[in-house]
Amino acid sequence: MNRQLLVPVHRTLPWGAVGAAGGAGLLLAALTRTGETGERLSLPLLRAAVLAFALGLVFLLDDPARHTTATVPTPRPVRVALRTALVVPAAAAWWTVALLLVPPDVRPPVGDLTLEAGAAFVLAVTAAAAVVRFTEVTRPGLPVAGGLLTTAVLALLLWPERWALFVAVEDKRWAAAHDRWAVLLAAAALAGMLCTREPLRRGAWRPAR
Amino acid sequence: MTAVAQKPMVAETRTEPGGSWAAVWALALFESRRLLTRVPVLLAFALYLGWTVWRGDKAWGDFPALQDADRATQGTPLLVGLAVLLSVNHAALRSHRHGTDAHFAVLVLPPWRRTAAHALSALAAALVTAVCVAVQFGREALRPGAVGHGSVAELLVGPLTVLLFGLLGLLVAGLVRSALVAPLLIVFCLFLFVASTGTGDGGTQWLMPVVGEASTNTLPTDLIGRPAASHALYLTGLALSLGLLALLVTGGRKPVLLAALAGALALTTVGATGQSGGVSPALAKARERASVHPEQVQTCVRRDGSTYCAYPEWEPRVAEWARVVAGVRSLAGGAAHERPVVVRQRVDARYGLSGDAALESLKRPYEVTVGTQWGGNRVPEFSAAVAAVLIAGDEETATSICDGRIVPVMWLAVGWESEPLDALRRVRLNDTITGSDSVLQPTNGLFMTEAQTQVLRDLLDLPRGEATARVKAHWAELTAPGVTAAGAAKLLGLPAPEGEDKCL
Repeated sequence: MNRQLLVPVHRTLPWGAVGAAGGAGLLLAALTRTGETGERLSLPLLRAAVLAFALGLVFLLDDPARHTTATVPTPRPVRVALRTALVVPAAAAWWTVALLLVPPDVRPPVGDLTLEAGAAFVLAVTAAAAVVRFTEVTRPGLPVAGGLLTTAVLALLLWPERWALFVAVEDKRWAAAHDRWAVLLAAAALAGMLCTREPLRRGAWRPAR
Repeated sequence: MTAVAQKPMVAETRTEPGGSWAAVWALALFESRRLLTRVPVLLAFALYLGWTVWRGDKAWGDFPALQDADRATQGTPLLVGLAVLLSVNHAALRSHRHGTDAHFAVLVLPPWRRTAAHALSALAAALVTAVCVAVQFGREALRPGAVGHGSVAELLVGPLTVLLFGLLGLLVAGLVRSALVAPLLIVFCLFLFVASTGTGDGGTQWLMPVVGEASTNTLPTDLIGRPAASHALYLTGLALSLGLLALLVTGGRKPVLLAALAGALALTTVGATGQSGGVSPALAKARERASVHPEQVQTCVRRDGSTYCAYPEWEPRVAEWARVVAGVRSLAGGAAHERPVVVRQRVDARYGLSGDAALESLKRPYEVTVGTQWGGNRVPEFSAAVAAVLIAGDEETATSICDGRIVPVMWLAVGWESEPLDALRRVRLNDTITGSDSVLQPTNGLFMTEAQTQVLRDLLDLPRGEATARVKAHWAELTAPGVTAAGAAKLLGLPAPEGEDKCL
């Protein structure tokens, strides 16, 4: 059954948004090749690229038909998992290309940065899943994009130094920061899984359109 | 047979006073209200206000220089600008998102006038920012210790940035009917801000909306040399161009619009040309003169026998300096008690705000340097310089003091303060009050050994009258070159220090 779902789900995925965000992200990653300034900024550029791609991923769960598909035999977790599974190879390919665009000698540690990227991507999808779970919205993408962006800016400005996340490569807190990223990734993944459940009752709170 | 004579129906038309501009105005009011109550905008304003209030008391304390305070209003509105970009873009695409674009065809407002209303809502956000900037600057300007002059052009940068970003969001909404573009654009902008801090050279740096400076030095207003007026003109022109382009993109085709766009572009070009001029020879000469021969531009006043020479904008601050000099002299014994000093205000303006340069010590007798900043740590630093000059005779000799004379110097420097230990901590480089440490001064600093610090601490532990009497009683021996910390302790009747007594 799931195999039969593959093609229809693939056709409903927001490939346009993901593609546009990916293109913007690759553009940012490619800026590391624009001379000395670009090389110095390879880490912030890659982080900006990750944020750009995550902004595309928040549209993953946009589904104008969500209220009519609430009763189909395939449960929502399966459909969400399918959507995610379809986008994972694309995200992996995109991330590989983004990393390859950075000159090897200024490339930040690949494993740790992949962890950051993974956490950001999972957070993006989780946020969309949470909006679907707790509201009646059919297209959670846009509000979540605004929320993700706001969160990113606020985290950059206000995140307490004690639990620093955005550290430089030469910073001695790098390892500790990436432990925190791993925790963040695990928490986001768990929350995301919990949020894929079909809401049984319609929430009392309905956002105005 | 009946014939019904019926008049054909004629649609009743009447001309509203003000025509469709009244509708634009009404829509602008509605959109402004919506824009200002959007979550990102509210958050950005909350963050902006919180940051400004929290930082307001820390920046310069009670003694701000207004030519710096105006520039400090520029950075944080960027955040509001980004939120406004997102929200204006979002609002302009609302009808597209909800599939109601077609319904507007039957309304009185053509699309480009709707765009004009959105542009006015961005203007409203800019006006709110302007009020915040005015309050922030006004608060600094009303402090009793404020000196200098603010620049309207520098103050305009914050609101103009918000307007610029809002209109950029509007233009992008007209060009690409997709809500994803604005967030991606913001990622680029965020990155640009990160990248542009600390880099940039001359002309191209000024193409950014907000231009920071590398130095935190305070210069006299006429030596700053920032092309603030041209930059404000450039930002205005750019914002107008973006707004008019947005009108044209959404279907405005009036010759007036095209002419206005040409005018706005011309304005941008004039501003961009004006701000790329760099440092003019006249300004370089004025900077050189104020740095190397400050006496040629300064005015001097006499107070209690001492002379205070300040750049014209700093004259109100003479009373503060005189208070410190009086405090230091009140503790001194011998001839130093009555010795008049010359307080010379100095600043190295030769590199403008692009770099900090340390000041050379003065060689003229009893002449002390005071900087352009005041309040906080600057007070005990100046106090230490006055004390050292009173004891050593001139600044150059004073900064090479390397014996027990440090004890009376630091006693004079901090002993008169109501919280001497606090002043001592602030004047020392590493904020310590035990062990050895450097002492900061407006020019080169001093060095306190562990033993000297110990003697000074013992002296400060005595009641002030008692300590003053002991220092004055042995003034000549205490201030004789070659005295050791142990010798000073013995003269003062204090226990001999145990720590290291070797200066660097």
